[in-house]
Amino acid sequence: MASNITAAPDHRPTFQEAAGELVSKVRAGSSASRLWLMIAAALALVGLVGVIGRIIDGYSDRSAWGYYAAMVSFLLSTAAAAPMVSIAPTLARASWVRPVTRVSQLFASVGVVTALMHIPLMFALPPLVEEGVRRRSIWFGAGAYTPHVWGTIAIFGLTFLGLALLWASSIPDLRAIAESGEGRRQRWAARLAMGFIGTDTQWKALRMRIGVLGSFYFLFLIFTHLVFSADFAMALVAGWKDAIFPMYHAMTGLQSGLASTIIAAYFIRRYGHLERYIELDQFWAMSKLLFATSLLWFYFFFSAFIVFWYGRSGPDQATNDLLVSGPFRWAFFATFLMSFVIPLFTLMFNPVRHSIRGPVIVSFIILGGMLLDRIRIYVAAWSTTGINDRYLREIPATRWPDIFDLMVILGTFGAAALAFILATRLIPAVSLWEIQYSRLLTRPARFIRGHALIIGKPD
Amino acid sequence: MQQHRELSEQQINVQLLNGTLATPRWWKWAVLGLLIIVLAGFSTFGFMINKGLGVTGLNRPVFWGTLITTFVFWVGISHAGIMISAILRLTQAEWRRPVTRAAELLTVFSLITALSFPVIHAGRPWRIIYWILPYDFSRGIWPNVRSPLVWDPAAIGTYLTGSILFLYVALLPDLGNLRDRTVGWRNRLYSLLSLGWRGNSRQWRMQTTAGILLSALMLPIFVSVHSIVSWDFAVTPSVEGWHSTIFAPYFVIGAVHSGVSAVVTMMALMRWLWKWDNFIRPEHFDALARLLIVVGTAWFAFTLIELLYSFYTLEAQELAFRDMQIFQWPWAFLFIVFLITGFFIPVPAWLFKRVRNSIPWMFWTSISVNIGMWLERFLIIVPALSRKQPFVYTWGSYHPSLTEMMMIVWSLAFVGMNMLLFARFFPLIPLFEQKEAQAFSSRIQIGRASVPAVLREQEQE
Repeated sequence: MASNITAAPDHRPTFQEAAGELVSKVRAGSSASRLWLMIAAALALVGLVGVIGRIIDGYSDRSAWGYYAAMVSFLLSTAAAAPMVSIAPTLARASWVRPVTRVSQLFASVGVVTALMHIPLMFALPPLVEEGVRRRSIWFGAGAYTPHVWGTIAIFGLTFLGLALLWASSIPDLRAIAESGEGRRQRWAARLAMGFIGTDTQWKALRMRIGVLGSFYFLFLIFTHLVFSADFAMALVAGWKDAIFPMYHAMTGLQSGLASTIIAAYFIRRYGHLERYIELDQFWAMSKLLFATSLLWFYFFFSAFIVFWYGRSGPDQATNDLLVSGPFRWAFFATFLMSFVIPLFTLMFNPVRHSIRGPVIVSFIILGGMLLDRIRIYVAAWSTTGINDRYLREIPATRWPDIFDLMVILGTFGAAALAFILATRLIPAVSLWEIQYSRLLTRPARFIRGHALIIGKPD
Repeated sequence: MQQHRELSEQQINVQLLNGTLATPRWWKWAVLGLLIIVLAGFSTFGFMINKGLGVTGLNRPVFWGTLITTFVFWVGISHAGIMISAILRLTQAEWRRPVTRAAELLTVFSLITALSFPVIHAGRPWRIIYWILPYDFSRGIWPNVRSPLVWDPAAIGTYLTGSILFLYVALLPDLGNLRDRTVGWRNRLYSLLSLGWRGNSRQWRMQTTAGILLSALMLPIFVSVHSIVSWDFAVTPSVEGWHSTIFAPYFVIGAVHSGVSAVVTMMALMRWLWKWDNFIRPEHFDALARLLIVVGTAWFAFTLIELLYSFYTLEAQELAFRDMQIFQWPWAFLFIVFLITGFFIPVPAWLFKRVRNSIPWMFWTSISVNIGMWLERFLIIVPALSRKQPFVYTWGSYHPSLTEMMMIVWSLAFVGMNMLLFARFFPLIPLFEQKEAQAFSSRIQIGRASVPAVLREQEQE
């Protein structure tokens, strides 16, 4: 250790304290979590009624499914993107992420809701060939139902990979739960721990499994965004050709996934009384990433906008009219404000980033912006007519949500929260082994007169 | 993996100033060789001015050829500095330290080189002023400020100014160091340039703050420069293959791919030429290769999406253009070379730790990337213009002339010579960064293992 560095008192929970506290949270659950669980279940029920109503209403009017498609895309862009918050920094060997890796991975459980919601939507998507006319798509000459097949493979595959990642990263914690006593939960945990006892080989295999699954998850996430954005939005609008749109879809998803993780970390910290594990450092680091992704939101949007605006061709102008300056301009300007302007002018100040409430409030605003963005894109796309034309001849009027749409919107939030809370009842919301690992590799220290942390960087 | 070697501050000074306070034997011959090529390049430029652009291979309707390709290429290389210096500084990546100065320097010289290419391409360089200033009030002719061709010099000029400032601020502590170790005119020069640097705590605080602020301010400029270059092409609906919304991020990620690869090339050369084995270590190549795997794969994904959406509309003209670009001689050959050298050789090779830690391998794979990236720009620009457009009644094929080839060689020699000249007067590896890296490095004991560690200063809640 260099001479300027001296040891400092360590106030972090000991290994035993952390193990006892985090495992007991899963066993007991708090009264607040039970209350949230009931609220979420009630909302999910409302949503289910909305979905049934929408299905009974039929598939003849495609525009009626716009809000539904927007909500599936919203889930894909928030919950499905959230695990990336743990994957990317873990691959980059960042140490701040350890206390929130599990929070972000728990969002994989919401994938079940996304996958279930995708099923009715598949029936609403028109085939590639209608009345002998083939429309533009990324599948070119493939079968008429290719988008349906690949869309389903993508969303179900992503859900499976997310759950596999969540399971793989929970194995050491499941072993800890299994050893915490006797009961149904312990037996279940022992079965899922698959004989893990923490040998060197098992740890090596575990890390490799997490790395491989994380990398695959990332690739599959991009693929899913590509397929979903192309088939369920772009291909429904005549003349809309926008190569950056899938990347915009994925990038804005990362921004919202980050916002979702920040909000979830806040609630888990506050209502789970885990202040000693999820600290200011985690919010500070995540808010920096949130700031960066908010800037990228503008960059990706503007890269497409300027090419359309400058190009001035018929299809370009019609696309801009539909998505930016036309009947959905209210949604566009609100999105612009909530996804870019407000995050930019708040997160640029360090006191806001270096706080807990600041990033949480901005995250709520960003999620609002994301919801409006997906409504702007999907409701507009599903409302258009003449999908086989060369370009959009008629800009549809704004379609406001009906009662079923409102129920589906509420239900989506409820079902997502329900899946997430249920997952926290089975698996610790803060990864026990990551906390222990972090404790092992870091030491509080004094650097001359300041506070510092020594972070070990093993191979 | 850290192959850190503990050196005293004195040893760091001696080793890193070995090319600045003394002249290596090879240096004069290298500069002389490059100078000859640079002078030959200037003579070629003079010849072009004398004879006109007819000496190039430019031919209706291909009015943009290798000169514009090389302009885009050097703008791409210039993305090395900010990627390495600013982004890695903000993310506190420790391994950036020996690389920052060389990367910033590469940015400055590649931008100067890039800026000279539109001037060369103009044929009558003095007329460039007409693009910027209104010159004929009576006819009401005004420069089109809404054209990306006018935004280009503005963005590149801002980037160049910022990069020079960035380089200079980071150079201040080393200039103070050099001032204290020289006599005569050199001492006077370093005294003047070091702006009274004494290394007190206030100066260090200001220098650090300036570095962070400049890093943050340079990032939007960094992104805007290549985006604007991409809009030179993308806002033109009439040329097949150009009017794509993905061009801006595609160009930026490609620029980072090529810029960071150029830094790898330069690091290998620096290690071999100045024997800086203690500072530029395999672990640095390993870290850069890991970064390049991510960047290269992202760039390849953008390439595929760009191609996918070019087929999306299935319009006959677009298909015919892509058919020519991908399947017809000679473009097909160049396309294959571009893919192989830009992605399929280097990125899979970097997946192996042995390659990432091998300096010759890293050197050659990084060269391979930049061959591929030059070809990428060529394949975007030239085939698209070579296609017959409506209302174009004469068209011919484009063959780069010897004059143009000479200008490409000139640009490489010009950047190389400037780097060597700089290295003769200023250290290519920041001394203070090395010392700071040592102060911030530590080890922690875990059981029987001693693990390398870094120190992070923390603010208290």
